[in-house]
Amino acid sequence: MNRSLGTKWPALLAAALLAQPVVAQEIPKYAPPPAVPADKSALPNIVLMSMGGTIASRGGDRLNITNYGRGFPRVNPEDWYQDLPELQGIANLTLEDQRAPENRPSGSETHEDFARVAKRLSELAADPRVDGVVVTHGTNTMAETAYYMSLAVNTDKPIVFVGSQRPWTGLSGDGPRNLYDAVRVAASKQAWGKGVLHCMNQFIHTARDVDKTSAYRVDTFRGVDVGALGFADPDKVVFYREPVRRHTTTSEFAGHDYPSLPKVEVAFAYRDAPAYLIDAMVANGVKGIVIEGTGAGSATTGQTEAIKRAQEKGVVVVMTARTQGGRVQDTPRRREANIVPGDNLLPEKARILLQLALSKTTELAEIKRIFDEY
Amino acid sequence: MRLCHSFASVFALCVLQVALAHAHVSLPGVAMFTTGGTIQSKGADRQKLMEYNSGRVTPRELLEDLPELKQIANVTVTEISNIGSGGMTSDLELKLAKAINAELAKPEVVGAVVTHGTGTLEETAYFLNLVVHSDKPVVVVGAMRPFTAVSRDGPFNLYNAVRVATSPRARGMGVLIVLNDEINAARDTTKTNTYRMETFVARDLGPLGYADSDRVVFYRRPLYRHTAKSEFDVSALTALPRVDVTYAYQESDGIAIDAFVGAGAKGVVLTGGDADAVKRGQAKGVVFVQSDRKGAGRVVTSQRQLERGVVTADNLPPHKARILLRLALTKTTDPLEIQRMFNEY
Repeated sequence: MNRSLGTKWPALLAAALLAQPVVAQEIPKYAPPPAVPADKSALPNIVLMSMGGTIASRGGDRLNITNYGRGFPRVNPEDWYQDLPELQGIANLTLEDQRAPENRPSGSETHEDFARVAKRLSELAADPRVDGVVVTHGTNTMAETAYYMSLAVNTDKPIVFVGSQRPWTGLSGDGPRNLYDAVRVAASKQAWGKGVLHCMNQFIHTARDVDKTSAYRVDTFRGVDVGALGFADPDKVVFYREPVRRHTTTSEFAGHDYPSLPKVEVAFAYRDAPAYLIDAMVANGVKGIVIEGTGAGSATTGQTEAIKRAQEKGVVVVMTARTQGGRVQDTPRRREANIVPGDNLLPEKARILLQLALSKTTELAEIKRIFDEY
Repeated sequence: MRLCHSFASVFALCVLQVALAHAHVSLPGVAMFTTGGTIQSKGADRQKLMEYNSGRVTPRELLEDLPELKQIANVTVTEISNIGSGGMTSDLELKLAKAINAELAKPEVVGAVVTHGTGTLEETAYFLNLVVHSDKPVVVVGAMRPFTAVSRDGPFNLYNAVRVATSPRARGMGVLIVLNDEINAARDTTKTNTYRMETFVARDLGPLGYADSDRVVFYRRPLYRHTAKSEFDVSALTALPRVDVTYAYQESDGIAIDAFVGAGAKGVVLTGGDADAVKRGQAKGVVFVQSDRKGAGRVVTSQRQLERGVVTADNLPPHKARILLRLALTKTTDPLEIQRMFNEY
């Protein structure tokens, strides 16, 4: 699926024209795109990889920004390239399609898909002709996928996740600007060594700390606790921060393939949350459980009893908080109960880290170290 | 039996004292500087949260109030002033910076803590971020509630500030602001609320980490130049160039700019600004920096601004752009060179 536009541009253009969208992308034509430099040899080589998402979706009309996708043809990577000729001015792009097959509904990606993409990203990272990668993704779980890649891919090169809140056909769609900015970030020398990044709405975030915080607003992605690393502003891509926690080149999990990972589930805590959901997880063979605790990280009495039963069977339990902010701390009570504090990771990200940790060890002290460092 | 018992007690006491003395010796040294502020203010009664000018807390009282500090650091105190932050001057700031540089040069001192009123705390913190030449942590701390108030925040803020100042993880992070358990970068943090305890916020960029009960933890490292990597040196300075700030609003004109220039300002920070008044000022050698009154986001460098010879402030708010411009003007009046500084600090 890897296609170089340098050699196949005319064929791709023809293909793109044949696959004319139901509704053209609403990109204003009142101002022309800026001229593309004649000599593109100095431009960085960026791979634009599609894992689909709203940014790769069409709606029936341009006011449809909620009920898009199914029933309308998908937006192929070539369509982005055609709609946004400005991309040619900032990078030599190679398009790559890593979407799930068309007949599978959105959100049906499995670990197989992530393992395949991680492997491919590692190959691209090792390729001296590649300077950076942009990955499009549906916004609902993109932070999880990005976090997995930040732990599993060993590279200094920028890997930038991007999506959109409105379909490619939506009026005032955010996709084109997001895509353009993501390519700029991936092409930026300053983005090297900062781990897997996320760029939407002109903010540059880390994969570890970013979260989708609103269902439909375009400013949905925010840092949990800690904020953005920088901005993709009109004058320049600018960084104010770098992450301190381990990632990519300093990740002990990077550089390996994980065809499968130990089973880890998340249990939500709320008033009267029962024991039986946790018992059922254990009966189904989980190796780890992440509790999304109340407040500073608490489970109900019933859950606590089930946690003890689970631990007796060797299941590792990590405590996170449903507060969407703040750290679950290492307390004497938690040490006594053999519960690993999840720091400030969201439960769904603590799950990914626990899966990778359990692929190496089941020792509690070692897993606690991992949650301290990543 | 009683004799034996008392022998045992005396012996135990001696061991304890030796242990304490020993612990005292091995504790990290923290140089504390007090300037005043709400953290050193007394109210007439303990429900007074806003009218608290009924007395000042001395540095000694501050330490006696918090004996827990003795378990984590050897704190030595220097009083710079005991005023509200509205009265802070560049004279005092220069005195403070020189005193911090001198203390941090001592090998037994691992970090510094500065108490400050919260109103202009971020200005002093950013100034120190540019002129302290050390990788050792410098932590600026204050309180939103006076020393005498019920549920006052000062003691825990001060305790956490000293913890952060002794943390090896805080080295090289630049000057830090610690209130409300949060560790913030001096450059990016601003007071966002008049009375709430979560007032210090780095909009867009967020805190660097937390001073939590289990540990001092960092998630971010600032990238703009500061402290040990700063080119600004105040060791030989006794004054700073005058720089003023204009506030822009509908129908605001050039009167304020002309007045500042007339009063001898070497630089003016704009949040809008009358183009003709700017030209008149530039003709007299005054340097203008474009900031913004919104409190978040960058002023981007545009062709138009470059042609006007106006420096852009990046995402510094006007009061912090003023501090960088003052220090920049101690070295140069070239707008291009000053623009480089605004791009780097």
